Amino acid sequence: MPDAKPVRTAPALVIRDLCKVYETEAGQVHALRGVDLRIGPGETLVLLGPSGSGKSTLLNILGGLDSPSSGSARFHDFELNGATAAALTLYRRRSVGFVFQFFNLVPSLTARENVALITEIADDPLSPEEALARVGLADRMDHFPAQLSGGQQQRVAVARAIAKRPELLLCDEPTGSLDSESGVQVLEAIAEVARDVGATTLIVSHNAGIAAMADRVIRFRDGRITDVAANAGKIAPREMSW
Amino acid sequence: MRPAPLDRKLGRDLWRMKWQALAIALLIACGVSVAVMSFSAQAALAEAQRAFYAQTRFADAFAQAKRAPRSVVRDLAGVDGVVAVDARAAESGLMDVPGLARPALARLISLPDDPAACLNCIRLVQGRLPDPQRLDEAVALSTFMQAARVRLGDRLTATIGGRSVSFRIVGAVLSPEFVYVPAPESFMPDDAHQGVLWAPRAAVERAAGMNGAFSAVAFRLASGASTSTVLADIDRILAPYGGRAAYARKDQPSHAFLTAELKELSTSASVLPPIFLIVAAALVHLVVTRLVEAEREQIGLLKAFGYRDRDVALIYVRLAGAIGLLGALGGGLVGGALGAAIVDLYREYFRFPVLSVQFSWPAFAVAVVVSVLAAMAGSLSAVARAVALSPAVAMQPPRPAAYRVGVLDRLLKGPAVDQGTRMIVRSLERFPARALFTALGLACGLSLLVGAQFLFDSLERVVDQTYYRTQRWSDSLGFAEPRHIAAVREVARRPGVFAAEPTRVVAARLKAGGRMETTRILGLDEAASLHRPLDGKGAPVPFEGRGLVLSEALATRLALRPGMPVWVEVLDGRGPSAELPITGLARDYSGFAAYISRRELNRLMGEGDLASGAELLVAPDARPAFYRAIEATPQIVGASSRDDTVANWRQVMAKSFRTTIAFYVGFAGAVAFGVAYNMCRITLSERSRDLATLRVLGFGQATCAYILVGELAILALLAIPPGALGGYALAHGLVAAYSRDEVRLPAVIGAQSYGAAIAAYLVAVALAAILVARRIWGFDLVTVLKTRE
Repeated sequence: MPDAKPVRTAPALVIRDLCKVYETEAGQVHALRGVDLRIGPGETLVLLGPSGSGKSTLLNILGGLDSPSSGSARFHDFELNGATAAALTLYRRRSVGFVFQFFNLVPSLTARENVALITEIADDPLSPEEALARVGLADRMDHFPAQLSGGQQQRVAVARAIAKRPELLLCDEPTGSLDSESGVQVLEAIAEVARDVGATTLIVSHNAGIAAMADRVIRFRDGRITDVAANAGKIAPREMSW
Repeated sequence: MRPAPLDRKLGRDLWRMKWQALAIALLIACGVSVAVMSFSAQAALAEAQRAFYAQTRFADAFAQAKRAPRSVVRDLAGVDGVVAVDARAAESGLMDVPGLARPALARLISLPDDPAACLNCIRLVQGRLPDPQRLDEAVALSTFMQAARVRLGDRLTATIGGRSVSFRIVGAVLSPEFVYVPAPESFMPDDAHQGVLWAPRAAVERAAGMNGAFSAVAFRLASGASTSTVLADIDRILAPYGGRAAYARKDQPSHAFLTAELKELSTSASVLPPIFLIVAAALVHLVVTRLVEAEREQIGLLKAFGYRDRDVALIYVRLAGAIGLLGALGGGLVGGALGAAIVDLYREYFRFPVLSVQFSWPAFAVAVVVSVLAAMAGSLSAVARAVALSPAVAMQPPRPAAYRVGVLDRLLKGPAVDQGTRMIVRSLERFPARALFTALGLACGLSLLVGAQFLFDSLERVVDQTYYRTQRWSDSLGFAEPRHIAAVREVARRPGVFAAEPTRVVAARLKAGGRMETTRILGLDEAASLHRPLDGKGAPVPFEGRGLVLSEALATRLALRPGMPVWVEVLDGRGPSAELPITGLARDYSGFAAYISRRELNRLMGEGDLASGAELLVAPDARPAFYRAIEATPQIVGASSRDDTVANWRQVMAKSFRTTIAFYVGFAGAVAFGVAYNMCRITLSERSRDLATLRVLGFGQATCAYILVGELAILALLAIPPGALGGYALAHGLVAAYSRDEVRLPAVIGAQSYGAAIAAYLVAVALAAILVARRIWGFDLVTVLKTRE
């Protein structure tokens, strides 16, 4: 099994022999089969692989949405395996920002209010206005999701994710529902604001084209990491093509 | 054969939404069960009545006289329209029944001379008929025997017409005249004190001093005969013999009560079920609308595959129909069982030889059809929406629901309002029709709960007004004949009597403007304190000269107001007539009373200072001695006690009204629960993705539960004022349904009842909210993020 390449500073995330087995009527499904990975603070990783390869499962476990069957996933001093539901809720609230494929905005709240959802419960957040300005939506703050394009909706989601200045930014197929133009805008927003707040960023994608924006590219197959490649020539999303 | 795919879809959809479907079906079941219960009980009662009346040849008309020679029977039989006459000797008195503190009323009636030709024949249920040769044997009303614990072979001694007579009870009987036996001046049964004995004619004639005479007569009339003409002829013939106004079967006390009960069942069956069905249809509308919204892609897909609009429409119409059918079947089962329970209850009050449980198949069939149609009707607007969806549009992901900043929202500006509260308020403003439907449904539930409490409060008011405010005596006595006032002073000297006031009662016909009512006029002393008519505000209405004070209900019937004259024909004594002014109206809740100064009444009668009874205040601990004393007084033929009457009321209320009200409270709770549960499930279905997102973003379950049930909580609180008002309106409606000649119920609902109803309502709503909100704890956060809205 290829091991993760050691990073120079103290890692933000340490993953050891992480396994996830789902019990189904058809039998056991091994979603993760012993994943080892160390991720440095502020590092941007793109996780690539076909459907069912385990990348989203890993993201869910690291986001505190799912629990591993065995192994360890440690965020700084916080061990996710075995943590209580309340502890995981607090972990998500304090440390994790999420961007989802289908935006997951609350339709009855404006862009500003969707972001305010987070700023109301975070310890030292950006203001909703600042967060939205950073994703280029200063002039759309009082629009409801129905009044925004897909790309704009996803940028609101990015603003919502980074408003709390998360240490960990998890993006699951953030461009999956977007055209390429909108996709680039969203990735730019992610890259810029992640850099600004210093978030460790994991982006799950089917799209190998976006690998160029990562520090490292992790490839998954059948629940295992098959390749870890450091990206010597990291480029900005607007220069990418896919 | 495997079911078609759409049938399988229907089955699975129903299974998936089983709790919502059941909550709606529950409401339909409530409505159907009330209808089936009422009509089944009615069928049982009507059949028992029909059979018993036919077997015992229950009379069409009745009359009483003081003492009419038997030769008059021939004259009566000759009245045009009369086909059969049965004249009996009958007399009343007091009877000492071992084990009873207060003497029981004894009505002694002669057995028919020819059992084959009798009217109002009795039916032996135990023992045997008296030996015609023996003068000391009698049969007694079975209800009285049971309540007073009189056994076959017991000897009862009564004081009849001043003479002490003793009978050995050899049989228990039922009589069509005494199917329901209300106590005098009340409408509640008091079986233990309502003794009815039948003995051979010779025995009764001897006891009543009525040789060759009769005092009670029953008639069978030809079909098509004019009852009023026949009654007038009978009155004319019996007038010389102290005849009192003849009356038709509809006014016979037992029959009138039974008729009112049958009518009440029809009313219950027609008032309540529509409320349940309307609320259920509104819920079907909400649920199917949401379902169509959630399944728009499937609808598009089906249409793209070539299914016709009709096929798609039928999915949802059949779903609604299935819910209706489920409710109707459940309602039929429960209604049948409740009908049987009511019939069981009736067996305690209505004495028929056979009162068997029935199931009203016609009512059930109609209920099934109406329920299915109501549910289908509820689905129609959602179905129209499904039909109108074009496949291409339907298969595209829907745009996020379009919200805007509404009026309420503007009021909530400011940092104090959190986003969760904003979500709640915007949802209310975004779906105003749904909010309205839900609030109205909840208000209906509360109205039913408040309305159900009304019977208790109303009856309490009747008891309070009748027995503690208008009448303030503890005991009352009736004399066989009007007696000089000295007799009352005599009674006042009996043990334990604190106060005694005379009364004078006469039967009379009151005529005004072509209307006529037969009633009794009660003469009271002007300074009487134990009994005084009260006005609507509770103040005593004074007597003014010859003026009559009428009960409001009687004045309404005769279209009379104070200041107007009324023609009075007294039916007792010499039967004087006079025009008297109406000087006041009294608010009372039972019977049709008319009051006058006793002095003026005696003057009208042309008699001296007479009393026909007395109202007394008796020390509770001296009662046994007092009753022993009056039993020994031959002239006293009636005795009633307020405490016994009120205790009886309470007992009957405990047995029957509590049962009825428990049904209603259960049903009303079901409405509130059903509406709240469905509303909450719909919100959950719409919001589950938002709520799961919030959970992922770090919000706790409690915050999400707040957002989920907040909307319901607001609507539930908003529904309280209209619900309470609706309950008051329902109480007014029920007043009309439950009021009878014997008792008119005031529409009263006490603060305590409002409190109890609102508490029960909030419990039902909270239960529904908790049942739905706990699903938040089981959210699969991963799945919801992977699904498109």
